[in-house]
Amino acid sequence: MPEKNLAAENMLRRHLANPFLVLSLPVDAGIEQIERQGQKILMMLAAGMSESASYETPLGTRSLSEELVREAIAELRDPDRRLIHEWWARAWRKP
Amino acid sequence: MKSMYIGIDLGTTNSTIASFDGEAVNVIANPFGENLTPSVVRIDPRGGTTIGRRAYRFLESDPLNTRSEFKRLMGTETKLEFPMAQQSFLPEELSAQVLSSLLSDASDLLGYQPKKAVISTPALFELPQNHATVQAGKLAGLEEVVLIQEPIASAIAAGWRKELGGMWLIFDLGGGTLDVSLLETKDERLRVVDHGGDNFLGGKDFDNAMVDWALAKLHEQFGLSEVRRDNPESRSILNRLKAACEQTKIELSRVQRSMISVPELCRDAAGNSVEVELEITRADYEALIESLVARGLAVCLALLEKAKVTPDEIIHVVFVGGPTLTPLLRQRIGDAFGGRIAEGIDPMTIVARGAALYAATAGLDARPNEPAAQQPAGLAVRVEYPPVTADAEPFVVGRFIPGPDELLPAKVLIKRDDSQFSTPEATVTAEGTFVLQLQLQRHVRNLFHLSAFSETGAPIPIQAPDFAIVHGVSIADPPLSRSVGVALSDDTVHVYFKKGTALPARKTFAHQTIRTVVAGSAEDLLSVPIIQGEFHRAHRNGLIGTLTIGGVKQTLPAGSRMEVTLHLDRSGQMQARADIPSIGQSFENIVHILVPTATLETLEQGLASTEKRSADLLRKGFSSGEKSAVKILESVPGLMLEARRCIESARGDDPDAQQRLHRLLNEIDSALDAAEEAFEWPQLVNEANEQIQIAMAWVSGWGTPAEQRLLDQAMEKASTALQTADALELDRQVKSIKAVTLAAVNRNPESVYYDFEWYVENITLATDLPRATELINKGRGAASNRDRDALRAINRQLYPLFPGTEEERSKSYGSGVH
Ligand SMILES: Nc1ncnc2c1ncn2[C@@H]1O[C@H](COP(=O)(O)OP(=O)(O)OP(=O)(O)O)[C@@H](O)[C@H]1O
Repeated sequence: MPEKNLAAENMLRRHLANPFLVLSLPVDAGIEQIERQGQKILMMLAAGMSESASYETPLGTRSLSEELVREAIAELRDPDRRLIHEWWARAWRKP
Repeated sequence: MKSMYIGIDLGTTNSTIASFDGEAVNVIANPFGENLTPSVVRIDPRGGTTIGRRAYRFLESDPLNTRSEFKRLMGTETKLEFPMAQQSFLPEELSAQVLSSLLSDASDLLGYQPKKAVISTPALFELPQNHATVQAGKLAGLEEVVLIQEPIASAIAAGWRKELGGMWLIFDLGGGTLDVSLLETKDERLRVVDHGGDNFLGGKDFDNAMVDWALAKLHEQFGLSEVRRDNPESRSILNRLKAACEQTKIELSRVQRSMISVPELCRDAAGNSVEVELEITRADYEALIESLVARGLAVCLALLEKAKVTPDEIIHVVFVGGPTLTPLLRQRIGDAFGGRIAEGIDPMTIVARGAALYAATAGLDARPNEPAAQQPAGLAVRVEYPPVTADAEPFVVGRFIPGPDELLPAKVLIKRDDSQFSTPEATVTAEGTFVLQLQLQRHVRNLFHLSAFSETGAPIPIQAPDFAIVHGVSIADPPLSRSVGVALSDDTVHVYFKKGTALPARKTFAHQTIRTVVAGSAEDLLSVPIIQGEFHRAHRNGLIGTLTIGGVKQTLPAGSRMEVTLHLDRSGQMQARADIPSIGQSFENIVHILVPTATLETLEQGLASTEKRSADLLRKGFSSGEKSAVKILESVPGLMLEARRCIESARGDDPDAQQRLHRLLNEIDSALDAAEEAFEWPQLVNEANEQIQIAMAWVSGWGTPAEQRLLDQAMEKASTALQTADALELDRQVKSIKAVTLAAVNRNPESVYYDFEWYVENITLATDLPRATELINKGRGAASNRDRDALRAINRQLYPLFPGTEEERSKSYGSGVH
């Protein structure tokens, strides 16, 4: 099996965009909480609040964008996708 | 000036524009005093354009230079000709003319040209058609256009509320087509769960039923046997009769009996003028349309069955479109759903009304920006708030923008104007921003007032401190109908956006180039094909655009890193960009996704290739004995037969047959696709099993406990996918398993030797054999010195030289990336 650093890198990219990380929410957050938090971050981005410009990941701070937040909300609205993200988010958080 | 929100129903036959000022919705009439403007454009020999009712009058007398029903061609590159003026236009350009006419009617009433609007599109529109609609809006001078699906607009206008729960059925019967949609609130959002319809059932068919009846009577009374549908000479006679029948049909929705009257229709055999005066009762008419109504009901029931919903679960039926004013239809459909019909809404303007209401949700104030001079005194503040929301306790965010000698306030608070609610005082940050959470009264418009105070508590006057939030509907963003990704050189796909992704969306992933691109050469190009579809093999998906890398400033060696960014906006326009950090160059392309144009010629070609493909697959199905594939293929011969019949009628210049053929070909193709998936299934299962074995060996030996846990979970999901034969899910899990394996493999210091061995064994697959040989010779040296780091570096250089086989690459739209 040849070395595939890129595959690993791209995988990491996907997982660092885990919706629970992006929205800074616990994995058991309810849909109302997700929508509210998502809208709040979008408005903070629109107002240019520096606090909203980044989010925390296990590998440090990454920058936030409107698309990232919208996608995170949309991903968590879909129950099947949400399951997958919950799974990865738990894997990330528990050492 | 009050906020103003504009909604537009850009219909196939008629279009409507409505406004919403936060309190009431109004339909804006055209200069003829009508709510409906015909979607018709005429261009006269001098190039003068007429739109709407005036143009409609020429449909009969000058059909060549008068165009209608162009909505059906939206998103295609079909140019519509106006021979007299020697001009031709895209469907979106003609739609733009209709929009301009509606917007100028609005401007007459409002005193300004609206700058933003919501336009409705059918639920079955895909990205290209939606994109063309936005384009039409832009051409008509709108700065911002937001789309809404027609059934959702109807539901909003009919007072949809999530508290009511359950499903709604939207029954939209227009001039030529029936669209039925099932709506439901899920996760706080209104969305179309499923839709169905009949492209060949509409008001026209009701007219034709009456025309046939009238013709039979005329043959009886006047013996006009030469007036027939299949006689081209009687076309104009039939058209006049049809217009009269439509009139009578509309009257019969209101009254019990009416008259079809056409003065001097034609001359009879004896040369006497034929005066048509046929009395018809509602009961007579209903007998004629009974079967059409039954067909409409059947479409609803079929949709319910497909979505596994019983009629009892439908709590509301909403009627849209002129023909739904027919009493028999309302009764029959109403009976099937226990009479749960939303009453008191005008089915002709409901879509535009809903679109205007939605414009408020989307925050699309149509007013032009106020000139700076009119700004009131006080500190400037920008408040971000949802104009309409389903959340009863939303946040608002604000930012003060102080002038040169103005100070930031220290504290702010927001009060609701019924004085039942106030936020606590919040501190303003050093940036001048603040965040507050409000409480809304349900289902009404809530007015709020923002107050700001200095350190000492003295009030500070602010510009525009008032804003309103309506507690109401939230709508799901329009989802992507098919996945979008990059085709890789080994004929696999790197998915960027999965089907169902909410738009807009942007993603960046890293790739490697598979061969050298020479500096300064205009011919040496590397392609990054962008594709749309759900298949694992790149070539099975449709190519929607290509990023071309060429004219590089510096020779780009194979294996260079390339970051590709795809950005899809809400209307489906895509921007693709490739960044190559090593040479500091970027390449951009705007990709337009188009609906394949359905000319007779392309359809004939399509039919021929579908015929070949289905014959191949049928043969393969019988010889392999793959049962599920054979089962899927059962429907194909019947559909092929119908398609062949259609092409005969289409050659006879029947545009409807052409459309039907287009749909049939799509249907056949998706059956063939499904069969092909089924053929690939055993191979996929093999791959999965092999991958699982490799993973177990590596992860148990070298993985961390966390990796082991991930692997267990992925394997569990993979086995569920195996049981349910879910190819997409299996593929997804195999990818996760591969990633976990990779992490474990890299932890084993010996893995670098195994990787190298793989290259040695597969050297014939290298794209650049001399270079691969050179590297492998070097690698042998490093391996015998047990110099792992050197060998790792060599492996890294070898990797891009093995981008898959030549065959895979050319299949994969000539992809130059891995
Ligand atoms: N009162 C009525 N009773 C019965 N039929 C009617 C009545 N009023 C209008 N119609 C018919 O409605 C049809 C036009 O409907 P409508 O304007 O909703 O269609 P459309 O513009 O094609 O629809 P869409 O906007 O979905 O493209 C015509 O066939 C017309 O004869």
